[in-house]
Amino acid sequence: MTRRAWARGAGTLLGLVVACYILAPFGWVALSSIQPEKELFRVPPQWIPRVVTTDNYRFIFTGRFPAGYQETGLLRGRISEKARDALPALRNSTIVAVTVALLNLVLGTMAAYTFARIRFRGAGALYMFILASRLLPPMAVAIPYYLIVSRLGLLDRYSALVLIHAAFTLPFTVWFLTLYFRRVPPDIEEAALVDGATRLQALLRIVAPVAAPAVAATAAFAFMFSYNDFPFALFVTSTIRSQTIPVIVSVTAVNPDVSFGVVAVTVVLTMIPPVLFAMIFRNYITRGLIAVTTTR
Amino acid sequence: MTAHPAPRARSGEARYAYATVLPVVALIALFTIYPIGSAVVTSLREVVLYRPESTPFVGLKNYAAVIRSEYFASAWRHTLTFAAGAVPLATVAGFAIAHLLNARTRTASLLNVAILLPWAIPTVISGIIWAWIFNSSYGAFNGALYSLGLVDSYVPWLSRPTTALLSVLFAHVWKEVPLTSILYLAALQAIPEELFDAARADGAGALAALRHVTVPLLIPTTLIIVVYETMIAIVTFDLLYVMTGGGPAGATSLISYYMYNSMFTSFNFGHGAALAVLLAASLVIFIVLYMRLLRSEEIYRE
Repeated sequence: MTRRAWARGAGTLLGLVVACYILAPFGWVALSSIQPEKELFRVPPQWIPRVVTTDNYRFIFTGRFPAGYQETGLLRGRISEKARDALPALRNSTIVAVTVALLNLVLGTMAAYTFARIRFRGAGALYMFILASRLLPPMAVAIPYYLIVSRLGLLDRYSALVLIHAAFTLPFTVWFLTLYFRRVPPDIEEAALVDGATRLQALLRIVAPVAAPAVAATAAFAFMFSYNDFPFALFVTSTIRSQTIPVIVSVTAVNPDVSFGVVAVTVVLTMIPPVLFAMIFRNYITRGLIAVTTTR
Repeated sequence: MTAHPAPRARSGEARYAYATVLPVVALIALFTIYPIGSAVVTSLREVVLYRPESTPFVGLKNYAAVIRSEYFASAWRHTLTFAAGAVPLATVAGFAIAHLLNARTRTASLLNVAILLPWAIPTVISGIIWAWIFNSSYGAFNGALYSLGLVDSYVPWLSRPTTALLSVLFAHVWKEVPLTSILYLAALQAIPEELFDAARADGAGALAALRHVTVPLLIPTTLIIVVYETMIAIVTFDLLYVMTGGGPAGATSLISYYMYNSMFTSFNFGHGAALAVLLAASLVIFIVLYMRLLRSEEIYRE
């Protein structure tokens, strides 16, 4: 019994260590965003902030320079000005990701329902094609995207990102929902079809309400993929007209002269939507992750 | 396999079926088959930024040039070194954390919520955070070592070849552990409790049960994780872009980053495309292996 208690205690301790490892980076950025720049350069660092300020946030939202900022020089000021693109970039990201999620919701659900219920010539081959394309690593095909998108005349436009992200999320959506719809008993729909309902009506009125959580989860997945994407967005966007938040935060952060506190604010703002999604859809995301990589 | 075989399509239904399926297939094809074809064509031509009008066919010249380049060999060497560290670490850490997640304690429920977060945020964002942690003038890692008296002055972790690669590796494992531990957790929970009861009845301790019940039953999951994580490690790009920019002295210039450089820094599209084709070809091996490990493909064949 004592041995068991000891094992339990060790488990709890290890669990806390792992929780720290996972959460500490988030905590550190959050704390950095509410401290003046000077405090951040203290050696050794101040683990519990001595001075708390909202200056960095105010700079991002209003453009007013944090106190004590001007003295560090004009160049530095100009560089951090780029960080203020974070708000329009968040807007761009949201527009693109919501559109991608909606496309998955409409096109993905309809295609999946068809694969699940209707037999038609070529169904097997088309389904296999979609399945296989799910495995294509983005990096291996991303380089030609720049050329394709520029040929289509879509460089630096939302539509380029929306199309690319949809192409990379639809395979998962179609495949996941096909499996899901197949588990829904077809009896009620068949009765409705006999009564003269169309396939679309059957999908919308009978199947979709039953499958709503799964459908919502695939839309959430699509949103997160699109919101988090970096390489595609880097390759096919060039100005704040279409640049998304991972691009803006990265190009700002890789500049060695940038104000750390100010970039910390943009990092915190960027993390809010995906972290909320992860909390809300936790169970579905977990199940989706398992399905997408293993599937038993 | 399928519980409810689909009824034969009536004539109007086939039209509906194509109308719903073909747009999706076309969109996916546009960004999968077409780019691969386009990369192959570009890779056989000389395409450079300053001469956009003239793209003469040069056969395999681009391939020969990139393969013979010393950067190509070193990029692959770094990529394989990185994968050799990242794959076992992410796998073993995932296995261990899955056991912590599976415990019925309050810490476990906290951990179950926290574990998704590194996966949920954009990879570049985690790279930025870790680059700060390892920063040489205000990094928390240096600060912690200094406070504990382990270093006399801050160490420029990201400016030394070996520690730079290790720092990226650390961030990469942080990012991948949510997935591997969740996969292991699901596999763990699928093991029937009776097997552990039987092992206990036979007098097996916790370690013996781990060795004779858990580990053998988790081999399929482990194989999937290893192959999947190898693919992910090979295409690592986002972290390098924000953490090291491929430096110092190319020490973290893995194959994807090298490809990006030839495309967007040297603007030699022919070389970039040849690299993309070579990368895709080397990944095909892993994709085929992965497909074989998964049985999901069987589902559609009736």
